Amino acid sequence: MGLLKMSGITKSFHGVTVLHHVDLTVGSGEVHALLGENGAGKSTLMNVLTGVFPRDGGTIEFDGKDIGAITIRQSEELGIAFVHQELNLFNDLRVYENIFLGREYKNAFGKLDKKRMVAETRGLFEELGVDMDPTEVVANLKTSQKQLLEISKALFFKAKLLILDEPTTSLNNEEVAHLFSIVNSLKRENGTSFIFISHKMPEIFEISDRYTVFRNGHFIGTGDIASTDPESVTRLMVGEGYSSEDVYEKRETGGEVLKLTHFSGPGFSDVNLTVEQGQIIGLTGLQGAGSSELMQCMFGSTNPTGGTIEVHGKTLPAHSIHSSMKAGIAMLAANRKENSVLPDMSLLENMYLSEHTLSAWKPLIRKRGEKEKFETYRKLLNIKAGDSSSSILSLSGGNQQKVFIARWLNTDAKILLFDNPTQGIDVGAKAEIYKLILELAKSGKTILINTLEIPEIQKVADYCVVFYNGSIIKVLKHGEIDETTVMLYSTNAINSEEVQ
Amino acid sequence: MGAEKQKGNSMAGKKIASYLGEYSFIIVFFLIFLIYVLTCNGLTWNGMMNIFRHSAVVGIIAIGMGLICLTGEIDLSVGSMLSLDAGFSVIIFNMTGSIFVTLLFAVAFGAACGMVNGLLVGYVKMPAFIVTLATMLIFRSFAQYFCQHIDKGLLGGGSSVYRMSMEKPSYDAFYQFGNGKVATLPIVGLILILMTALFVYIATSTKYGKKVYAVGSNEKGAQMAGINVPLVKISVFTIAGILVGIAAFLWVAMNASADPATTGNSYEMYAIAAVVLGGISMSGGKGKCLGIFFGALSYTIIDKIIVALKMDSLINNAVKGIILILVIMVQIMGPQLKSKFVHHKKES
Repeated sequence: MGLLKMSGITKSFHGVTVLHHVDLTVGSGEVHALLGENGAGKSTLMNVLTGVFPRDGGTIEFDGKDIGAITIRQSEELGIAFVHQELNLFNDLRVYENIFLGREYKNAFGKLDKKRMVAETRGLFEELGVDMDPTEVVANLKTSQKQLLEISKALFFKAKLLILDEPTTSLNNEEVAHLFSIVNSLKRENGTSFIFISHKMPEIFEISDRYTVFRNGHFIGTGDIASTDPESVTRLMVGEGYSSEDVYEKRETGGEVLKLTHFSGPGFSDVNLTVEQGQIIGLTGLQGAGSSELMQCMFGSTNPTGGTIEVHGKTLPAHSIHSSMKAGIAMLAANRKENSVLPDMSLLENMYLSEHTLSAWKPLIRKRGEKEKFETYRKLLNIKAGDSSSSILSLSGGNQQKVFIARWLNTDAKILLFDNPTQGIDVGAKAEIYKLILELAKSGKTILINTLEIPEIQKVADYCVVFYNGSIIKVLKHGEIDETTVMLYSTNAINSEEVQ
Repeated sequence: MGAEKQKGNSMAGKKIASYLGEYSFIIVFFLIFLIYVLTCNGLTWNGMMNIFRHSAVVGIIAIGMGLICLTGEIDLSVGSMLSLDAGFSVIIFNMTGSIFVTLLFAVAFGAACGMVNGLLVGYVKMPAFIVTLATMLIFRSFAQYFCQHIDKGLLGGGSSVYRMSMEKPSYDAFYQFGNGKVATLPIVGLILILMTALFVYIATSTKYGKKVYAVGSNEKGAQMAGINVPLVKISVFTIAGILVGIAAFLWVAMNASADPATTGNSYEMYAIAAVVLGGISMSGGKGKCLGIFFGALSYTIIDKIIVALKMDSLINNAVKGIILILVIMVQIMGPQLKSKFVHHKKES
């Protein structure tokens, strides 16, 4: 009955255990939802299953056979196909070439048998009800078509188990319905099994038969979807009894400093938001839900498509990073390594560059003055670093992040946008950064934080703005913020319950 | 206690190692200079000053190239630009007879040529390699075409060469400027030092200089820090053009003529070589402007060594090429070996 049985799987990286004896059982002809927050260990387990990482311990049984150490290729031969979230297609090749890559049909002279490959691809698409030209170049396909192509490719080689990692993030409702109808018919007619990784509760409850929940690398529970509901699943994902030292305190807030009216741009639309001076607003939502995109657009690194943004009652005119900075907006960007770190430069240089773009009419650098400023920020932000001339790369993630906070405080910005500020930072430094955020707000800065980690928002935010599919779905007051509630809104589980 | 001391020792060691890394161009220079001293049988002051003089044009062009490389870009057009700029500057001199106007023109024309490259790279976002490959062809072709199709009077009577007209009263002063000496130091060499000093100052002590490094270090990061990346790129190409203009002015002063077919031939490669010998990373963000000066001198000395050894001058470029490969190999393999060594130490 059971197609896949993984038990007691353990995996650690550099001494950090990310999977603690987790189990996963998937029956044949079953759609199994694998659930958990970011970092719960879902992807790691799937990578173990498909041979990307070797496991440290535990057993895997597939189709009645014990599997030892396997390679990616061997797992494919067994009939396990991994449809990654970021698609692994060759954009410059044609559809059929992507399907047959590495296993092309050839004639006696080694010439490719294009006709046969195209015909078989066409047959496959007809069978699946996919409307796609086998000779089309993949770059010309829509993202949803690419997703379907990935799935078709897996099916062509008679995969028994398909792992779909967030397959619906780039699909619209109609396309999702189509995908689900394909999944359902494959399940019924061929007995194909699926592991379905998703954060969207309505979809999970529509398509899945059973579920397994992980939390922080631990197996939490498994069961039938029919005998549970979105709320209890969410509670399993988030965990009960979450407690933290409460650093939050109420502050006096001033007048309105920031107002978004019908603000739209790439990845978000029609956002209306008013923020008062000294407030801390937490923005959250699943990856791609629009909160990070909104921040980038407010900072001027992407162009808005509609609506207005007012700072201190004045509409921001031209849209560029420079104009946002002049209006007093600063952004601590996500992906520190890519967007903030200037790896060849010193701490001091990394700090003062941004301010210099605002004071370019004074072309000379006053070295002593800059060093004094750095020392002030070093004390204020408790930056643990050697000399200000040492390389930025010599600091830990948390201290690097503090240097970049110093960079923006140095521009005298009044509105600070923090996009995922605690990414890749250890727990101690995280707490410090959040304490700092509260202190900055007390000193009159207005702060917006985008993060997926709800406990952090809970600690500092006056309001929590939850995004779903590019727009604000709910605004919660400080007292109402808790992980379960936020999860329910950001996965849209609340609406799905209403439908049920 | 002991562990702490050891840590202190390794810190000091690291510091020395990092200084050696940063100033490796001086080591390279002294190694090459040493070989020169050993081979030239009798080091003379004049011989050394000659090296200086011959480094001036390439050195000044290399400073511009260095700035461009610091942003992670490249300019292949500087050699042809030198030829075109020098040729037109000769015409301007022949028309006006004024050294000052000639200088002004050379600089302005160089700036314009450089800005064309800069706009295409920075604003249109075309790859610098392709843009400057194209302008390299264009500039050289213009230099040759106009030399054939312009009034012979303006060419100083030369055929297929731009020649300064000796009838102009300021001819002697101009030629003297290009070949004269101040206290046994060649004037053109002094200008190279002046330019080096100026750009060392710009690179280390001005806000603009730091922006150049930032763009080359992490373009996205620089943009997110508020730096106008296209503007920085346009500006470095324009500055490189200005420096080519100054170099063209010196060339005219030194040679009193410019041959459109040979002037500045392969100078883009010499400049790149000087930049690399000077320790500037071709991927941008790393290196010192002072290094370019030593890089250019090193490069000229290699020439002199080959002459001193009485080797066939045709082998010249092969020797230069091999030295380049060796220097870059050390640059690239050094960090790799170091990380392997550190990794190894950690594991054991």
